[in-house]
Amino acid sequence: MTVTSRAAGWRRAITGERARWLVVVAVAYYLGARLGLLLSLVEENVTPLWPPTGIAVAAFVILGRRFWPAVAVAAFVVNLPVSEGLLPALATAAGNTLAPLVAALLLERLGFRRQLDRQRDALAIVLVAICSTVISATIGSLALAWSAGIPAGQLPATLAVWWTGDAMGILMVTPFLLSVPLFRELPSWPVRQWIELSAILLVVVVASSWAAQSLQVIFLSLPVVGWAAWRFQLRGAAPAALLASVVTTFSASRGLGIFRGRPLLDQMLALHTFNACIALTSFVLAALVSERNSATAALQQAAADLEARVEVRTAELSALNEQLETEIRERFEAQEQLTQEEARAKREHDIAETLQRSLLPPQLPVVPGIEVAARYVPATSDVQIGGDWYDVLQLPDGEVGLVIGDVAGHGVSAAATMAQVRMALRVYALQNTSPSSVLHSVHGLVSQLPMPEMVTLLYAVLDPRTRRLRVASAGHPPVLTFDAAGAHYLEVGLAPPVGVTAEAYYDESTHLLQPGSTLLLYTDGLVERRGTSITHGLDRLREAAAAVAAEDLERLCDHLLASMIEPSRVADDVALIAVRPQAVPSGPLLVTVPAEARMLSQARGSLRQWLRDAGVGADDETDILVACGEACANVVQHAYATAPGDLVLEARIDDDLLQMWVRDRGQWRVESDRGGGGWGLKLMQALADTVDVRRTGDGTVVHLSRRVSIGAQDGG
Amino acid sequence: MTALAHITSHEHSGRVRHVQVRGDIDLANVGEVRQAITSALADDPTRVILDLRGTTYLDSAAIAMLFRLAQRLGHRRQDLALVVPPRSPIRAVLELTSLQTVIRLHDTLEEASGGPTSANPTGAGGA
Repeated sequence: MTVTSRAAGWRRAITGERARWLVVVAVAYYLGARLGLLLSLVEENVTPLWPPTGIAVAAFVILGRRFWPAVAVAAFVVNLPVSEGLLPALATAAGNTLAPLVAALLLERLGFRRQLDRQRDALAIVLVAICSTVISATIGSLALAWSAGIPAGQLPATLAVWWTGDAMGILMVTPFLLSVPLFRELPSWPVRQWIELSAILLVVVVASSWAAQSLQVIFLSLPVVGWAAWRFQLRGAAPAALLASVVTTFSASRGLGIFRGRPLLDQMLALHTFNACIALTSFVLAALVSERNSATAALQQAAADLEARVEVRTAELSALNEQLETEIRERFEAQEQLTQEEARAKREHDIAETLQRSLLPPQLPVVPGIEVAARYVPATSDVQIGGDWYDVLQLPDGEVGLVIGDVAGHGVSAAATMAQVRMALRVYALQNTSPSSVLHSVHGLVSQLPMPEMVTLLYAVLDPRTRRLRVASAGHPPVLTFDAAGAHYLEVGLAPPVGVTAEAYYDESTHLLQPGSTLLLYTDGLVERRGTSITHGLDRLREAAAAVAAEDLERLCDHLLASMIEPSRVADDVALIAVRPQAVPSGPLLVTVPAEARMLSQARGSLRQWLRDAGVGADDETDILVACGEACANVVQHAYATAPGDLVLEARIDDDLLQMWVRDRGQWRVESDRGGGGWGLKLMQALADTVDVRRTGDGTVVHLSRRVSIGAQDGG
Repeated sequence: MTALAHITSHEHSGRVRHVQVRGDIDLANVGEVRQAITSALADDPTRVILDLRGTTYLDSAAIAMLFRLAQRLGHRRQDLALVVPPRSPIRAVLELTSLQTVIRLHDTLEEASGGPTSANPTGAGGA
């Protein structure tokens, strides 16, 4: 409901009742006047308490100044019988109406609250009572003086009596009437308080009556009125003050008790002093107590508000705390999950690395005629491991197969694919000596894998005797060859990685290595670095390799790794092989191997290489290998019956005389135990010029010699 | 690694088996070669061709093995033929041990597969 509509509704209700209230105000004014006349000190002229003025002020404050006609009519009706004619009655009525109107106006201007619960309200009503009634008193006195012919000397006294009567009327009656609506507006009282108030009022009447009788107890009413004000504020103070005043004024008007036989002026002064004290005590005390109570209430409200705010804030904090705990718990769980994930990734990393390392050659084979060194560096990242490999194969005809490869993808599956490809390549390499054919076979295998992987692969076959190198590449970074003079990449035909295309053809190129030069095969992890081009990486590798060309191969590999990758941040696996054909031997041959059948081919290989390096012809080579091979086989078969031992092969060429010694430190079994049908010695004797078997206390030496032709033809 | 020899065995034509050995045959792998030949014979072919064209080395243990094998075959009426080209590095060893007196030597595979099946091998493969 808006303010406007509420005001309109209120106005309609008022309009319906206005007439009734006009009558009520008029009747009240008239009855108040009759009561006032009843209390007059001298006949019906001098009244020390004129209630109608108080009634009019109360009516204007509560109901509004619009009710002035009721006051005006009632005042005229009251004054007409006691005035000397119509005109003085009208004048007096006008003054009696004007004074309360001015009083109401002034109170409004002073910001007066009819609840009288502030000290300034109490002071305002006292001030207004004194000021406004000057109007009614002046007009009334002049009208009386003019109509009744009161001597000019008596005018101040008449004016003073009129003025005090009106002022007392306001001070005594108006607060009482203002307190009446409060009984409805303020919280209603329990019965106990009604009884208390009634008791106080009774005490007021008794005390006032007694006080009027005896001068000694004249102020006894004051504490009682004060008590009423303290207990009930305006609702207690106003009735108490009015009752005390009425009782005392009645006593004065009847000349009873202390007022008996006193001159009129004394009676007036005593009565007014008493009434003023009662009035001021009651209002001011009531206002002070009200103020204090409202301050207390405000304080309690503030405390309650604070309490409520603290509760709300506490609840908010509690909710926030709960939320925070939930978040911490969730974060903890997430962390735990992450840790498990990490552990799983770590396990897979370890499996892949173990697999990877177990698949790489534990040690490189000793290949006559070349030095070789290799490295594998796993990626430091958990998921980046696996797939790179290298291999060095000793081929049946004395050549060496060099393999470097990289399976795309990482982890256990890449390592597993690598294992299959590596084994397959070994088989293909033994069947066929052409690198391009080997790659073609590998391509066929990879294409048929259930889940074909992309594999870059480079396969090279090196003949250490001639330093001839045949290379085929399937999408792999180029081979680097370098010596102290410089480094360059070998030109190899371009081809896609194996397993990518349906058909593939791999070019094979042949190169002749310079004496003393080094060959480097590697995977892309060595030259790839985040943020730089692969061309830049290849340039860096070329420079780094040329700088360490003079180092031995193990140190060379270490230096290259150190300068190309950061050990703490290896983004991708790195595998590399460095190969260097050995310089041609000029001295005698000395080979020591365990006396086991599987070592025979290695001994023959060393001898074959040495013979070729020495320039011994192919026909001689074949015969010598068989003769010496038989001597070695004899050692393997017969020398060490009980405990294993070594076979030592020594050879030297002086001009065209080749001499060989095959030694052991074992005890030979008797000849009848030997298998092989005695072919070994026959072959030795047939193929060597001289064969001499000499047994000593700690072993046997077989000496073979043969004239050979040197430098007649090449090593092929 | 040392893969001394690569051995393959398959049916050549009709009841002829073809066993091929590439690489060296010595004490270390002679048993393996014998096993391959014995397996081929177990299929009961009329002839087994031992193809040594790719063989680069042959020692006395292999010679002894071949002699024993020839001896056994004589009882079973099965024919063993060797293919060894004239320029082979193992030819000298074979001739020195006179293996051709018990097992026929052929220069080519065609000769070995199409040659007569008579039981008298003497002089069939000369130098």
